[in-house]
Amino acid sequence: MKKILSLALVLCMVFALSVTAFAADVDDIPDTMTAEDGIYEVAFVTDVGQLKDKSFNQGTYDGVKLYADTNGLSYKYYQPANGDQATDDDRYDAMKAAADNGAKVIVCAGFMQGNALAKAAAEFTDVKFVFVDGWAFDGLDNIAGIAFKEEQCGFLAGYATVKEGYTKLGFCGGGGGTNPACCRYGYGFVQGAAAAAEELGITVDMNYSWLYGASFSASPELQTLVNGWYEAGTEAVFACGGSMFASVAAAASANDGAVIGVDVDQSFESDTVITSAMKGLSDSVVWALTKVFDGTWEEIGGVATSLGAAENAVGLPVDTWSLEGWTVEEYEQMLADIIAGDIVIDDNYENLAGSASLNLNIVE
Amino acid sequence: MSFLIRQTLIYAVPLMIVALAGIFAERSGIINLALEGIMIFGAFIGVAFVRILQGVMVPSPADPENMIGLFDLAYQSKNWLSLQGYMLLTMLISAALGSIFSLLLAFAAINLRADQTIGGTALNMLAPALVLFFVRLIAKQNTLQLLSGDSAKWFMIKKTTLGFDKKADIGFLGETFLNKVYLSTYICILIFVILSIILYRTRFGLRLRACGENPQAAASLGIDVVKMRYAGVMISGALSGMGGFVYALTTANCSANGDVAGFGFLALAVMIFGNWKPLNVAGGALLFGLFKCIAAAYSTLDINGDGIYALANIGVSAHLYRLLPYLITLIVLALTSKNSRAPKAEGIPYDKGSR
Repeated sequence: MKKILSLALVLCMVFALSVTAFAADVDDIPDTMTAEDGIYEVAFVTDVGQLKDKSFNQGTYDGVKLYADTNGLSYKYYQPANGDQATDDDRYDAMKAAADNGAKVIVCAGFMQGNALAKAAAEFTDVKFVFVDGWAFDGLDNIAGIAFKEEQCGFLAGYATVKEGYTKLGFCGGGGGTNPACCRYGYGFVQGAAAAAEELGITVDMNYSWLYGASFSASPELQTLVNGWYEAGTEAVFACGGSMFASVAAAASANDGAVIGVDVDQSFESDTVITSAMKGLSDSVVWALTKVFDGTWEEIGGVATSLGAAENAVGLPVDTWSLEGWTVEEYEQMLADIIAGDIVIDDNYENLAGSASLNLNIVE
Repeated sequence: MSFLIRQTLIYAVPLMIVALAGIFAERSGIINLALEGIMIFGAFIGVAFVRILQGVMVPSPADPENMIGLFDLAYQSKNWLSLQGYMLLTMLISAALGSIFSLLLAFAAINLRADQTIGGTALNMLAPALVLFFVRLIAKQNTLQLLSGDSAKWFMIKKTTLGFDKKADIGFLGETFLNKVYLSTYICILIFVILSIILYRTRFGLRLRACGENPQAAASLGIDVVKMRYAGVMISGALSGMGGFVYALTTANCSANGDVAGFGFLALAVMIFGNWKPLNVAGGALLFGLFKCIAAAYSTLDINGDGIYALANIGVSAHLYRLLPYLITLIVLALTSKNSRAPKAEGIPYDKGSR
C-alpha cells in the first residue's frame, strides 16, 4: 500500500515539479546575460566540446563570469559553428561576432584557435585577446598567450595514484594526441606514476590511449574501451579530455574503478573520482582580465606566459582530498620541491616512454 | 569472455528491439524510416523523465525535517527494487511518448496517403532539432545529463546488488548474466520474444501481416486495414522510443543529445539483413553487436580466459577491427540478399478501390 501511495505521489509531483526540476542550475551567475545596449564587453569563445563540459570550457568561462560579474561588466559566450568540426573560419566568425558586439577583450580557449586568432587580432587591433592554452604571436601585442605546465599536475596526479596503491593505470586523452596540453598532462602522469613506483620498488602497468577522444566527447565506443580496461584489471584511469569524463566515469562506476579528473576538481561529478589534475583556469583568466582593465596589459600582451606550480596555477584539489596513502602535507612538500626545482619534470612529450618501473602499453 | 558477451548484449539489444519495431511497421505495410528519429525522441523523453524523478524530494525517514532526493533515498536504503521500478516506469513513458510521436508518421502515411519515405525522413529531421531545442532550454547546453550520479550507479545490477560479496565467485553464467547488467536488457529480450510470438502465432499478427502483403484482400475479409496499420506503426513507435532510452541508458550514461549514433539506421539495416523475420533479426543484431564490441575493446579482450589478449597480439592493424562490423554486414548482405523478400504492399498507400 505504501508503495502504491508513494508511486501515486511521485506521479503527481512529477507534473507539479516538471517546471522547477528543469531549472536546476548550480552556478549563481547565469551563463547568458542580456545587456540593455547590446554591447558585451567581455567575450568568451569556446573550444570544441560544449560550454558546460564541467572541465576546460566551463572552468575558463567561470573566470570570465566571475570577473565580469564582480566588476559589473557585460559578458557573453560564443560557440564557433559546426561543433566538433569547427574550422578556422567558424572560429574567426565567432571572434568577429564578439568584436562586433563591442567586446573589449575576447577570451579564446584552446590551442586550436591559433589561426583564427591571428587573423582576428590583426583585424581588430583595439580588442585584446586572451589565448588560454595558447602562445604569443610576433607583432600582435593584443594577444596574451597563457599556457600551463600541465606536466606538473599530471605528475602529481600520477604520483598520488600510485602512492594510493593503484598499480594498473590507464590514460584516456582528448584531441587525438595533437593537443599539447593533453600531451603534457599524459606525459607528466606517466613520469609521476613511474617516480612513485620506483620509490615503492614496484612495477606499474599503464594503458595509454588517444582513441575516441578526438572531439573531446563521450561515446559508446569510449565507454566500451574503458570498460574493457577495468574488466581486464585496470584500477584507475586518468580521464583527460572534457566531456570524455562521462564515458570514463560510467565505465568506472560499473566496475567500481577509480577516475582521475582533469582541469578542474571533478570530485563533485562522480563518486569514482579520487583526485583531479587541476590547472587554475578560472584564476588565471581573472588574473589576465584584471590586467586588461587596470592598464597593465603590457605585462602579458604579446608574450607567452607559462603558469606552473610556482605561480600556484597547477596542482591537486586539497579541499576535497580523499587519498589515504598520501597526505596533504606530503603533497605540499612535493609541490614545494617542484617549485624549488628539486624535482624536474620533463615537458617535452616527444620523449614519452615506459621505464623499468612502468610498463607503458600504448593502445592504438 | 563474460565481458564480451555482456558488452555484445548491450550493443545488440537496442538494435534488436528497434529492428523489431521496423518489422512491425513494415509488416503492416508502412515503411518506418523514422526509427532513428523516434529513438532520439525516446532517449530524450527517458532522460528527461529520469531527471524529473531525480528532482522529486521526499522527507528523509531518519530525519523527517530533511528532504532527500527520491533516488538518493532508494540508494541509501539499498532499495534496489524501487530504482529498477523507476527505470521500468521510464521505459514505459519512453514507449508511450514514442508511440505518440510515431502517430505523425501514421497520420501522414495512412490518412493523407503521403509518401512514406518522405514522411519518415521528415521525422528523422524533426526529432534531433526538436530534442536539441528542448535540451538547450532545459540544460542550457547540448547534452541533457542526469542531475547526479550515473546510470551504472542507479540502475546497474551488480553482484553486490543481489546480495553477493564483491569477491564472491558466482560462476561463469552468474558473472555473465547477473553481474554488471541492466534489467532493461532482459526486459527487451522478453518483449522481443513475446511480440515475435504475437506476430506469428496470433490472429492479430496474421491480420497485421496480411495488411502488409495484400491489404485489399485483407479488407475483403472484413479486416480494418487502417486500424491495423495504425497498430503496426504505433507498436513500432513504442518499441523504438523504448529502444532509444535503453540505448541512452546502457551506452551513453543516460544522456540525450539529439543523437543515437545511427543506431536507428543500423536497425533498419539489421531488419533487412534479417529478412523481416524476428529470429534472423536477433541473429543479425548479435553479430553486429559482437563486432562492434570487438572493434572498441579488442585490446583487452581475453577470449579463452588465459590472461592473454589474443586479438591485440596477433599483429593485425587496429583499423581492421574497426572495419569489421561494416565489412561483415556487407558480406552477409551480399550472401543473403538473394533470398531477401520485403512485405509486398509496403510503401504503397492503402486505397480501397485499387485491385
